Amino acid sequence: MNLEKVIFGFFIVLSLTLNVGFVLGEYNNPEHHSVYELFAVVVVNMIATGLKLGDRSQIGALLLATSLVADFELIAAALEWTFAVHVIGTGITPEVITSIVSLAGGALVANIISVVILVSETLISRI
Amino acid sequence: MYTSNELSRVSFIVMREMRTPLIALITVYSVAIFGMVSIPGPEIDGKIEYLSIFHAFYFMTYTATTTGFGEIPFAFSDAQRLWAIACLYVSVVTWFYALGSIVRLFQNVFFKRAVDELRFALSVNRIGAPFYIICGFGDTGSVLVRGLNDAGLHAVVIDESAERVMALKLRNYKTAVPGLCADASVPRHLLEAGVTSEYCKAVVAITSIEDVNLKISAVARLLNPDVGILTMSKMDVFEETLATLGGEVHIVDPFKTFAKVLNACINNPAFYALNNWLVGDKGANLESYVHPPVGGWIIAGYGRMGMEANHVLTMNGIKTAVIDPHSRKKEEEIETYITGRANAKTLRKAGIDHAVGLLAAADDDGQNLSVLLNARSLNQNLFTIVRQNSHQNELAFAKADADMIMQPTLVTARKILLLLIAPLLKHFFRYLLAREPGRDDDIKQVISTLRDKIGDKKPLLVTVDFTREKSRAVIQYLDQGFDVLLGDIIADPRNPEQELELMLFVIQSEGQVIVLPSNDHKIKEGDQLLFCGTAYAKQILKSTINNEYTLHYLCTGIHKPSSYFAQWYARRFNKA
Repeated sequence: MNLEKVIFGFFIVLSLTLNVGFVLGEYNNPEHHSVYELFAVVVVNMIATGLKLGDRSQIGALLLATSLVADFELIAAALEWTFAVHVIGTGITPEVITSIVSLAGGALVANIISVVILVSETLISRI
Repeated sequence: MYTSNELSRVSFIVMREMRTPLIALITVYSVAIFGMVSIPGPEIDGKIEYLSIFHAFYFMTYTATTTGFGEIPFAFSDAQRLWAIACLYVSVVTWFYALGSIVRLFQNVFFKRAVDELRFALSVNRIGAPFYIICGFGDTGSVLVRGLNDAGLHAVVIDESAERVMALKLRNYKTAVPGLCADASVPRHLLEAGVTSEYCKAVVAITSIEDVNLKISAVARLLNPDVGILTMSKMDVFEETLATLGGEVHIVDPFKTFAKVLNACINNPAFYALNNWLVGDKGANLESYVHPPVGGWIIAGYGRMGMEANHVLTMNGIKTAVIDPHSRKKEEEIETYITGRANAKTLRKAGIDHAVGLLAAADDDGQNLSVLLNARSLNQNLFTIVRQNSHQNELAFAKADADMIMQPTLVTARKILLLLIAPLLKHFFRYLLAREPGRDDDIKQVISTLRDKIGDKKPLLVTVDFTREKSRAVIQYLDQGFDVLLGDIIADPRNPEQELELMLFVIQSEGQVIVLPSNDHKIKEGDQLLFCGTAYAKQILKSTINNEYTLHYLCTGIHKPSSYFAQWYARRFNKA
């Protein structure tokens, strides 16, 4: 057993599951999507990205890339939420939440790819 | 890349063909525009309007191509309309003439050939990896290209027959194989095939004409002194010339190769089975040995193959009787020589009743098969070797159920393929076949190891180069002053206690060849390794030698921290 792999695996799977939790629900119903969950996804995903820095292998580079994609989309979603509530002041209307959930959905795909790469790498080279 | 010549040829043909129509178009346009500009237009506000050159050109552009658009920028005068009628008819005819010329150009044979050559040279240039030029795409060439393709190597084909080049394009190769229909012995075509490219590893001359092969070899050597040359030659005269070309030259004589195999077969039956299994012969397995019996042999057909086989058989103390339509040459010592076609009568005369073996070695497939059937009806217990000349007759030969089938094209293709994809294999074979005590046991040991590790799976010969490009992680590790042992890299990363499904054959280290290297051999930069294994083992091994984390794990048993955080943690708490 390798502690590094455990920690990394924990964060990457946690980020995926939290992401699923946020996206679940009617896509245009603001009541189904919690701001705290979005906050947790952003934080966990960024930690997972940080854990990938420094890996010089091919797989490491690919994992970093997918994770960065997820980061970008989640940060965009968070920014949109902030703008809607605090800057423009429209509040979370169905249009706004639809757009936020779409961005988080994109991040979800990136996170799924990350986990698939992680699992297949482990299956191929080490069990 | 060699393109300047074709580029200039293509543009030259285009220019020559298109010169007249272009001049005609320019003339018609300029006269029409000039007329349009100089003819007075209608009076507007008491002033006669003239068309500007730009407007006249615009009008001609849509009129000449019969688009039609109306009178722009103002309605025309009748004089202008009259001129427009003339322009319309003349320009439309000129356009048809120009279009016809373009169509004719595309049908021009020289143009087509020049474009083909240009396209071929461009696609050869796009290959950014080592490749081989195969001159001649007959039976041998197609087996060879297929083999190279399976091994993941690139090939380029030149053949004189348009049909075969067409057939090449229809095959389902994993990587594209560019083909050109041309005479490979013309230096220009070899240049187009990339003989001077740094990626070109070897030129393989296997056309059906020996003179052409010789010429290709000489031209290739002159164009590129470093390129490897492999050629098929059945004549000693050519071999002498080829041997003096200098550089890396391999001459493959299918009959001599077969004679060697036959010799090995008589003395080391296990070796023959191993060889067949390695080259992926259909139905070959490591268990069944072919063992030609010692006793009287009959050779039907005394051409080059019959001669080589006779030599090997007599060398091993076997008495032979030869049947051949041609009368015997004086210098050879043959006990029984019967002049005539091989049939029941001559076979009886040669002593078929008490013979143990028959070799049907004529260069005609029908004759060989009929001799085989004839002989078998006279003597049931014969050991039969039959020569198959054409690949097309494969089904008939498969039914004939001979003990050994000798197919010169296949023998050549396999020999060349092994020379290209596994150049170290010859050291391994030389070692196994050396007449030294204990070699029989070595062969048995090799076979039993292969059977344990690979068994029924498809064997794959793989050459591994320990260079900075091809095994980055290993060289980095060596740079840091650590040792990498062979045993480390062939361990299975999933369970380091176990080895991958592969067997090490040879390692070439600093000019020294070590056959069946031990697992504690220390790898140095520039080493070359040959092993036989499964496709899966090859994949894992290649990933191990390129992934520093896997390599570190296999060498030390410790997972190396990969991310900055883990590295910091390991340093901080001294956990590495």
